Amino acid sequence: MAALVYTLTALLGAAAAATGVAGMLGASWAVDVDWLVPLGGLALEMDALAGLFVALVGATAVPASLYAIGYTGRERRGCLAYLVFVAAMLAVPLAANVMTFALAWELMSLASYVLVLDGARAGREPAASAHAGWVYAVMTHAGLACMLAGMLLLTAWTGSARFADWTAAAPALGAGARSLAWALLALGFGAKAGGVPLHVWLPLAHPAAPSHVSALMSGVMIKLGIYGLLRASFVWLAPALPWWGATLLLVGAISAVAGVLYAIVDRDLKRLLAFSSIENVGIVLVGTGAALTFAATSMAGLALLALAAALYHVVNHAAFKSLLFMAAGGVLHGTGTRDMEALGGLIKRQPWTAACFLVGAVAIAGLPPLNGFVSEWLMFQALLQNVLLPQPSLNLVFALAIAGLALAAGLAVACFVKAFGITFLALPRSDAAAAAHEAPVTMRVAMVATAVACAALALGASSIVPALAVVAATLVPAPPPVTLGAWLTLEVSGEFASLSMPAVALALAGGILLPVLLLAVARVRPRPRRYETWACGRVLQTARMEYTATAFADPFTRVFDFFYRPVKRLDIDRHPESRFFVRRIRYENPTRFIVDEWLYRPVGRLLRAAARRVAVVQSGSPNLYLAYVLAALLLLLLVA
Amino acid sequence: MMATVANLLAFVALAVTLVLVWRQSWRGRVRLFIVQSLVLGALAAAIGLLARRPVLLLVAAVFLVVKTWLIPRVLRRMAAGAPLRPVRPGRSSGIPVLVAGGLVVVAYVIMLPVSGLASSALPTRGAIPLAFAMALIGLFVCVTGRDALGQVTGFLVFENAIFALGVVATYGMPGIVEAGVFLEVLVIVLLMEGVLVQMRREHDSLDVDRLRELRG
Repeated sequence: MAALVYTLTALLGAAAAATGVAGMLGASWAVDVDWLVPLGGLALEMDALAGLFVALVGATAVPASLYAIGYTGRERRGCLAYLVFVAAMLAVPLAANVMTFALAWELMSLASYVLVLDGARAGREPAASAHAGWVYAVMTHAGLACMLAGMLLLTAWTGSARFADWTAAAPALGAGARSLAWALLALGFGAKAGGVPLHVWLPLAHPAAPSHVSALMSGVMIKLGIYGLLRASFVWLAPALPWWGATLLLVGAISAVAGVLYAIVDRDLKRLLAFSSIENVGIVLVGTGAALTFAATSMAGLALLALAAALYHVVNHAAFKSLLFMAAGGVLHGTGTRDMEALGGLIKRQPWTAACFLVGAVAIAGLPPLNGFVSEWLMFQALLQNVLLPQPSLNLVFALAIAGLALAAGLAVACFVKAFGITFLALPRSDAAAAAHEAPVTMRVAMVATAVACAALALGASSIVPALAVVAATLVPAPPPVTLGAWLTLEVSGEFASLSMPAVALALAGGILLPVLLLAVARVRPRPRRYETWACGRVLQTARMEYTATAFADPFTRVFDFFYRPVKRLDIDRHPESRFFVRRIRYENPTRFIVDEWLYRPVGRLLRAAARRVAVVQSGSPNLYLAYVLAALLLLLLVA
Repeated sequence: MMATVANLLAFVALAVTLVLVWRQSWRGRVRLFIVQSLVLGALAAAIGLLARRPVLLLVAAVFLVVKTWLIPRVLRRMAAGAPLRPVRPGRSSGIPVLVAGGLVVVAYVIMLPVSGLASSALPTRGAIPLAFAMALIGLFVCVTGRDALGQVTGFLVFENAIFALGVVATYGMPGIVEAGVFLEVLVIVLLMEGVLVQMRREHDSLDVDRLRELRG
């Protein structure tokens, strides 16, 4: 039964991917069913941008559903919510009026909420996971409220709930009105995308959900926030104002750095990935912000380049983040834990999972020859050309964003060295890790397929970038910023920069394979000698002497002390006879979250105080409650 | 002709409602509820005949079955075993009846824009404030009910009045709406029965003040 539903979802995803690609290539269509939904009816409309996101959701849902068959086993719960979740995500980019959009959006949020709670129920810490569900529900609905407020304002001002009418009427609105609507919509979509400081739900909810759902939530659901942002900024409210883009640039840079900094110090494998999603959303936001700024200062060519880079990163992140979440799910499935301090040595027990995780890690760290590298490179090419902008204040913002992005890219490498090294290398740190088993075949197929997609997205850059540029050109009309040279070389903005992924891949492969080949040709066969690993002269080497995740993160905690504000706790239990004999040492340095402490706690306190004031009316007497109803009715009738 | 009949029947129903406010005994109130339902059923049937709406006759028949037979049955079952509320000395029904009378005036004031309109083509417009007054009084009985049974009565009177309002204002809503409403009322009454059983088991009383401890 469950397997059937997952298969059905995979088929739905494949069909949607095909439809989406057709939409990207220009097959636009529209469906209107007036009677189905009140206030405007159900209205779907396919265009290039919608096609891209529909294809993305569909293509990611295929391996995720396949993976789910093996991952959930005989567990039935959650499969229908999963189907609804995927279907709603497919409907969001197609929605053509407020009602359809809000319904699909809310359905997506509710289905994912159910799935998070579901994962929470099966998890080890039900209380913490229930809290995760609660924070998710609050944040997603706060975002929904902002989004709806913006949409209703626009509906009132333009007199229509259809998005197409907004595009036509927006230029006539004042700059202040458009900015207000944009700010509300950006808050709503930003909360879904997970930009700092609206990210707090993300590191809680994503690890709590089952891994195939985490893959979809991190891979595509948060991207729909980016979709909304693109739609609102470039279509509904165009022409853009410069400050919109500058805001997104700053928020993106902060998200990128903060996300990866939190990822480095986390010891929960899935939470680490969730934090890294914040980083990648930050990168996409930087690209979007750059595109908006360029568009607002009428440099359409550069806007197109930045937008194509952002879209490319959206696609890439969907591929490698779903791969990483699936591999992390493989670890969880095989060992029953996500705590990196209890893992280690899994490469021997789970070679497939390890290999797939490695591919994902290399891709997300932005190393050639995989896809993360290409989109980040393209992004830098767009950002570096900000020198052509005449406004020094905007140049400053760009400089900050470039610095942030560079720092984040460097830290991401360290972060994924840690994630892969601590989890898969060395000796197992617990019995669970020592007894790990490899993932079932459906999970392996899904992971390998996604890993292949990561490589294909990189090597096929010369055909993908122009295709994305075509999609981006529907938002910012301009001639293509990237031309193809010899050897499938991407030539950016004329002579500015160029890159040939096949050449890079060949050079890398050659660099690795050449020595091996030469040795084989020269018939040099080094005689293998087996011996114990050198253990610094110690007689005994156990897993407890290994480098831990906390130890790996310690230098970063020290350097970024001002950011983490760590609390250090050191308990030493000495022997009562002599203080030179230590029985037990317990060391903790949990980091604190600035945003939680400086923003959400005070807001929460304020809300609670206000709620206590209002609670006076809740007396507990049913008669009084009924009297409220009567009074309200009479008041309404008398006043109205 | 139609205006006279509608006004008369609505007036009779309102009078029955006022008597219901005055009555303290639960059994008496259930009997009065049946009487009110009979009158309103007759009202619906009369309007159905005079306005040539055969569907309204069917609605009236269903209404009578539900309101004078099914629901009273459930109500009696609810009350069975309830400790009969001792009629406390010195507690008169004068004030509630006075307030109910005031509500009739309020209803007339509120409905002035509808009923006072001479140009309005609706022959039954005179009955609209009467039906509306019944609704307000039903809510009022709900508000002042000292135990759960009183609140159920109030709700049922309120619901009856809404039905009357629908009949005199629109000559019958679409059948699907009517059917939905009947079903809903039945379900609510059955649910209330469950709640009452639970309350009696927990508190050995139907006094709603005991629910105060459920406050969050």
